[in-house]
Amino acid sequence: MKKATLLLFFAGLSFGLHAQKIFSTTTGQIRFNASSPLEKVIGINNQVDSKMVDKTGQVIFSALIKSFKFENQLMEDHFNENYLESSKFPKAEFRGFITNIGTVNFAKDGKYTANFSGTLTIHSVSQKVSTTGEITIAKGTPTVNGAFKVKLADYGITGSYIGGKIANEAEVTVNCKYQ
Amino acid sequence: MKIKIVLILLALCFTSIAAVWYYVFQYSKTHHRDVELENAIAVTAGQLVKDYQANESSANAHYLNKVIQIKGDVIKEGKDQAGNYTVTLKSNDPFSGVLCTLKNGSKISGTHSTIVVKGICAGFLTDVVLNEGVIVK
Repeated sequence: MKKATLLLFFAGLSFGLHAQKIFSTTTGQIRFNASSPLEKVIGINNQVDSKMVDKTGQVIFSALIKSFKFENQLMEDHFNENYLESSKFPKAEFRGFITNIGTVNFAKDGKYTANFSGTLTIHSVSQKVSTTGEITIAKGTPTVNGAFKVKLADYGITGSYIGGKIANEAEVTVNCKYQ
Repeated sequence: MKIKIVLILLALCFTSIAAVWYYVFQYSKTHHRDVELENAIAVTAGQLVKDYQANESSANAHYLNKVIQIKGDVIKEGKDQAGNYTVTLKSNDPFSGVLCTLKNGSKISGTHSTIVVKGICAGFLTDVVLNEGVIVK
């Protein structure tokens, strides 16, 4: 009887130690900013699909290009048709890890530095990227913030206005509040 | 006579430039696609998800950037991080549904288990994603 109780206790302890939680959202936000001194080029996507594993730090951000909304419809059309070619390449994605996830205490509210490292795929071109962001824990719920500098030419994105009205390098800002 | 022709040509040029300027800098800024005015492809939420799961490329060729009218059961209502109303419709797969972000000012009134919603298809992630949605009934 004692043996069985001990076994159950250790089994429970082991489960507790290894249990991992997957946080997810389908309404995260990504902001694409390729503004130049000549033109404001900002698109916001509020339908970002993201998952994060607390124990391993594995993280995925997926976005549909057609979900980026611009203030100017004509700019949105050009972004989709001439630059990102969203009918051919409908998705963009970051897959990687928060490499210092061990420093984040999910049970304690606060702000923690998060080092992201992984592969960013845009326009069907994949590049290794890394950046530093932040995880905010509030009542056990994490919110992830991070920003990537994206050189458009590195992802095969070309167009006559790049380097003029559109900046050569866009800033992609991620903000995902998990549920 | 020549002066008259030159004046008419100048007026035409001016009008064309003004029209282009108005379209690019004024009209496009404020006018977005209006799903209510566009014809829609009618499909159930279950069938839409099934089509995407069976073959994403062919489903994109059929639905991407088109206005779709979906009938389905509501499994979730909420708001995105910018405060826009969202509604998720059930499919036959418990891990995948149809996520629709409603147009500014549009929201579900009352409690409905089955609704018809019209929106622009943006593609497939975990769910099939629609935006600029309006509730038809």
